[in-house]
Amino acid sequence: MKKRKIRPQKLFGVAITYLAILAVCFVFLFPILWLVLASFSKTGSIYSFRGFFPTEYSFDSFVKLFSDTEMYNYPRWFLNTLFISLMSSLFGTTLTILTAYCMSRFRFKSRKALMKTTLVLGMFPSFMTMTAVYILMTQFNLINQQWGLILIYSAGAPMGYLTQKGFFDTISVSIDEAARIDGASNFKIFVRITLPLAAPMIVYTLLSSFVWPWSDFILPKLLLKNKDLYTVAVGLMALDNTEFSRFAAGSVFIAVPIVIFYFALSKFLINGLSAGAVKQ
Amino acid sequence: MANLSLKHIYKVYPNGTKAVNDFNMEIADKEFIVFVGPSGCGKSTTLRMIAGLEEISAGELKIGDVVVNDLEPKERDIAMVFQNYALYPHMTIYDNMAFGLQMQKTPKEEIDRRVKEAAEILGITEYLKRKPKEMSGGQRQRVALGRAIVREPKVMLLDEPLSNLDAKLRTQMRSEIVKLHHRLNTTFVYVTHDQVEAMTMGTRIVVMKLGYIQQIDTPKNLYLYPANKFVAGFIGTPQMNFFDCTLKREGGKVHIDFTECDAGLDVPYDALLKVMPQYLDGQKKVCVGLRAEDVTLEPEAVANSAVTFKLKISHVEELGTETLVYGDLDLNYSGIAETGTKIVVKAAGFKDFRSGEIVEAAPNLNALHLFDAETEESILPRIPKENFLSCTVKEGKLAFGSLFVPLPPAIPCADGVAELLLPSDAITFDGEIPAKLCASEEVDGKFLLTVEAGGVKLFAVAKEAPTSQELKIGLDLKKIRIKREGQDVVSPLPEINTLDGAFVMEKVREKTAEKRKKIVRYCMEIAGVRLGSTQEINDKMFAAFSGRKVFNTQFRYEFSPYGVRIAEEGIPAKAEGVLDYGREKFLKCTVGERELYVLCDKEISGDIFLLPDPEQIGIVEKERDIRIV
Amino acid sequence: MKDTDKKANPFVVFGGALRKGVAKVKNFFRSLPARLKEKFAGAKEILTQGNGKVAASMCVMGLGQLLYRQWAKGILYLLVQIAFFAYFILKGAGDFIGFFTLGITESNAWYGIEGDNSVIMLLMGILSIIALVFYFVIYVANIKDAYRIQCAVDTMKKPESFKKELASLLGKNFHKTALALPIVGVCVFSVLPIVFMIVIAFTNYGGAVVPPALVDWVGLDNFGKILSLGQFAPTFFKIFAWNILWAVLSTFLNYFAGLGLALLLNRKCVRGKTFWRLFPILAYAVPGFITLIAFKFMFSYGGPINQMITGAGGTAVGFLDIDAKWTARLIGLAVNAWLNIPSGMLLATGILSNVNTDLYEAARVDGASPWKQFVRITLPYVLFATMPVLISQFIANFNNFGIFYFLRGGLYMDGYFLASDTDLLINWLYNMSIDNNYYSIGAAISIIIFVVTSIISLTVYVLSPSYKQEETYQ
Repeated sequence: MKKRKIRPQKLFGVAITYLAILAVCFVFLFPILWLVLASFSKTGSIYSFRGFFPTEYSFDSFVKLFSDTEMYNYPRWFLNTLFISLMSSLFGTTLTILTAYCMSRFRFKSRKALMKTTLVLGMFPSFMTMTAVYILMTQFNLINQQWGLILIYSAGAPMGYLTQKGFFDTISVSIDEAARIDGASNFKIFVRITLPLAAPMIVYTLLSSFVWPWSDFILPKLLLKNKDLYTVAVGLMALDNTEFSRFAAGSVFIAVPIVIFYFALSKFLINGLSAGAVKQ
Repeated sequence: MANLSLKHIYKVYPNGTKAVNDFNMEIADKEFIVFVGPSGCGKSTTLRMIAGLEEISAGELKIGDVVVNDLEPKERDIAMVFQNYALYPHMTIYDNMAFGLQMQKTPKEEIDRRVKEAAEILGITEYLKRKPKEMSGGQRQRVALGRAIVREPKVMLLDEPLSNLDAKLRTQMRSEIVKLHHRLNTTFVYVTHDQVEAMTMGTRIVVMKLGYIQQIDTPKNLYLYPANKFVAGFIGTPQMNFFDCTLKREGGKVHIDFTECDAGLDVPYDALLKVMPQYLDGQKKVCVGLRAEDVTLEPEAVANSAVTFKLKISHVEELGTETLVYGDLDLNYSGIAETGTKIVVKAAGFKDFRSGEIVEAAPNLNALHLFDAETEESILPRIPKENFLSCTVKEGKLAFGSLFVPLPPAIPCADGVAELLLPSDAITFDGEIPAKLCASEEVDGKFLLTVEAGGVKLFAVAKEAPTSQELKIGLDLKKIRIKREGQDVVSPLPEINTLDGAFVMEKVREKTAEKRKKIVRYCMEIAGVRLGSTQEINDKMFAAFSGRKVFNTQFRYEFSPYGVRIAEEGIPAKAEGVLDYGREKFLKCTVGERELYVLCDKEISGDIFLLPDPEQIGIVEKERDIRIV
Repeated sequence: MKDTDKKANPFVVFGGALRKGVAKVKNFFRSLPARLKEKFAGAKEILTQGNGKVAASMCVMGLGQLLYRQWAKGILYLLVQIAFFAYFILKGAGDFIGFFTLGITESNAWYGIEGDNSVIMLLMGILSIIALVFYFVIYVANIKDAYRIQCAVDTMKKPESFKKELASLLGKNFHKTALALPIVGVCVFSVLPIVFMIVIAFTNYGGAVVPPALVDWVGLDNFGKILSLGQFAPTFFKIFAWNILWAVLSTFLNYFAGLGLALLLNRKCVRGKTFWRLFPILAYAVPGFITLIAFKFMFSYGGPINQMITGAGGTAVGFLDIDAKWTARLIGLAVNAWLNIPSGMLLATGILSNVNTDLYEAARVDGASPWKQFVRITLPYVLFATMPVLISQFIANFNNFGIFYFLRGGLYMDGYFLASDTDLLINWLYNMSIDNNYYSIGAAISIIIFVVTSIISLTVYVLSPSYKQEETYQ
């Protein structure tokens, strides 16, 4: 093959591009790397660092995280978070998918009104209603109850149906019509045709509605007073200042599964995000 | 395995646009019907209404003997093939085909048998385990067909099934679908925008445009006798050549004068006998159509032809079996833009023509098509509606040719020369006038006769084939129109009386021997008077409206002068005088502002009552102008 | 040509949009009678043409259905009526009245009087109103149903059987079945709290007035307090100004940086795009509160940045100290960008993959520079596609609670009432209502936030190409 001569100008451009990319990647990596390193620090205090790096490395923080449960019961918090997130994700996804499907496929009378209402409701700052939610939950006897949180997360999920609706809009209507002619009721069409076709979108929805409770801090702090019911976020925030490496270890531990999910599903992520952007 | 009946089908969208207008058609069992037309003509909408995917705004749709307007698609026993195939992407081919049967809860073995059989017919047995995306377009199309035929439907609906395939596959699938139709013996309704598909596949074709049916006919008749310029231009490739022109009759010849260039043709009148005579005045704008295959450039044929014209060749397309010669009647034209005088001629085999050359051509005079330039309707109808004659009126007698017909008292007309429009169905075969049969032709189950009476050739319509050459004809004078200087002097008797009204429900208390009963009765309220309706009318009215809308709607009631009688009670009217047509007498009367004509047998005056016959009544919804009965 | 003219003068654009908006509003009110008439045509039809059995259903739910021998449906409606009446007589009526009085007996431990809890009464009052609305909806459905049966009978059709109607809930009316749960959920956990909050803004709930003390209606006093005098007003205006600046700056920074990053990674010369993309995704995936706390530590005195500064011989900088107004604000902007650029990049990547590449080829053939290509092709397309997202990002940034709560939470400063100079309205709101019980003032601030964000986003939306384009489509 004949080697093409690359113009120096072009080479310069490529170099600049790569430099910029490296700089950006460094900026994104730096804090996380620091956190990961901190989790392996031996002393646990932030003041025992030598510049960017800890003075000594060990697994102590991780061991302590799971063994020293008297004061900070991390395993318990982790299971709590997992339970709440899984349940909210399941219920929330179900409701969101149902809502999106109806908004995409049915033309009923109050459809436009409903869509506008959700738009307006979305403009209210979400947690200025915290007081009301708190009083409401006391009335329903759901304070200090994991189900209370699950209820709130799941009930709020359908408000963000637009992404899923955008996806359903892309599935050809004639497939539905073919199924109708084949004798399927709308329910059957939904279960046997639409749901299997929407699998990628369901994965995306499951993921995004899992992550929200997984990393939410405010609502659990408001509703869960009992230390045994804490989620990881609330627990980590309650850690003492001197326990920095334990905080780092706990953070790394809950961040890893999410990061893996995101890496594995980055394609869905990109598609999902841009599906939501397409005009309503 | 069923016939289809569409009566007064409308599709009206909430914003008032009508996608389909008064669609009427009877489709016989095992027919292959093709709906064809440009996009937006309503063909797909009609098909989707048959399928049950769109609601029918008004009208009655029957599959077999069942009115299916309100039935779900699955209850209609139809199957449909979609343009984009609409296969279920996540199912195997087998499951795609079995899905409909599973929904009907067909036994497993039966499903298996039918799917395998269909796969066998379509040659897709080996692909049954694949997913749709692993198959080519043609194979997917076969699966879509297979999915439809396993259900053994009464009617197969196909919505542009071939338009996503490439040209070669399309031809192949076309013949496969035709074969499938022969094999299944089912009624097929097929929608396409491609006239070649329509012509090659359909037993009958429905040409549509902007929601209106343009013509329903066999492929042959569509090609030979297009009802209007649209159909003429739509059917056939290359498109029919059209030229704006005027016609002027000069003795035994008609001069065709092209508006946009100097050229002209002199055609013998015999070739244009059926042209409505009012177009032969050299004034009215006419459009003449001539198919590319109906013009010849063969020197011998041209030499033998009585009528020839010249054209300047712009370019030539050699297609192998034929050569398309593009030219212009305007011999001075050398631009490249389309003109109103361009012409395409089809010549057989390879021909040696050069651009710029001027050649002589001869048209096939029997294949001339003529259309009104404004309405675009054919002015060469297969059955001419009217005979157009010049006549004289003298002393109460109408004279045309050598005939003298006494005018009845109902037709008062001043003496003088006038034009007579004699509808072809106004000629009856039970009269006194001797006539000679010149020609007879069967058109759509009726017979068009050309008779000569008193030295005038007349078109007449008969229900049966004539038995002898010598006929006695009569004239139904209530249908004639006499014109003088463009104004009607005598108008025909209106064939339809209209009155406005509503449809109401009334409750009547009825005393029987045992107990008193409340009975609900439905009435047509015509001009404020209630007349009991019939079961048939009720059914149609209730089918056409949802809820109680039928009781809140204004209707126009229509009935012929024969469909109403004068009675003791009924719609109060005022008699205005009797029109005596000799054999029949009609009473002219008024109801409010409206003028009505009623058959009567004696002089009547003053206040009367009219009683329309519910069996013969027509009902039209006023606001949307939709015919219901 | 016309387009560039318009671009040259934003006032013309704005004026045009404004005129259009005014015309729309005018049109709305002008056509209101006609549309109302249309809306009530159905009601009028039922009232004028309904028969005795429909009237029976108006008096007692389900009675008309029973008279038409629709047993199951009739009994169902009747049960709803009975249940509602039972609820209303036993509890609802009291709750409803309580909504207006907000309690009359104050508790007094001395005399052992158990008083009214105004806040719960308020909430229950709202619930009873929602219950009333639901009842009314069912009541109207009942009348409509009776009339529908009448229509069917009158036109000799068979009324739909109960079984068939139930079946239609999985068929024709599947959306009703599917949407019932989400709607109830949203009503209880979104609408009810929002209504509650709105209502609270018109009471004196908070401060010293918390149960067992009785809460009362005070009209617009809270808004007056915020906007006019006293301790709230100066804080409000200072925070408000910063909040607007913050929302605008951070939205633009995040948006264009995300777009820029996407374009950078999209360049033809870049190899291993998926690999490079993992770094921003990493930042996106780590839960926000973790990174925020990490950043707080990072900028603290003992954090790596200060360590490096001291290592190089400098003195430690109090990046987030109480007097570090602008450094803290800038760090907030930067950290927020770090958190949000990745999602912006992913979004832009998705959008950019849909751009028609022919356009660029054509532009190159026409000799347009890369910058021109960006300004004339990429930017308008991306802006058009992402305008709704941009608006929601603006709202999210306006209400960005996390950033300063985690970086600098809990600071109260001189010159600010229960807030610091980096706090946004939403942080102030939190400080006041959750930490310090100023509920009614907090609620009033919420309403102001809502009004401001909705006006800004609506205006932006009306001015945006997506909206204008949409109009040309219609």
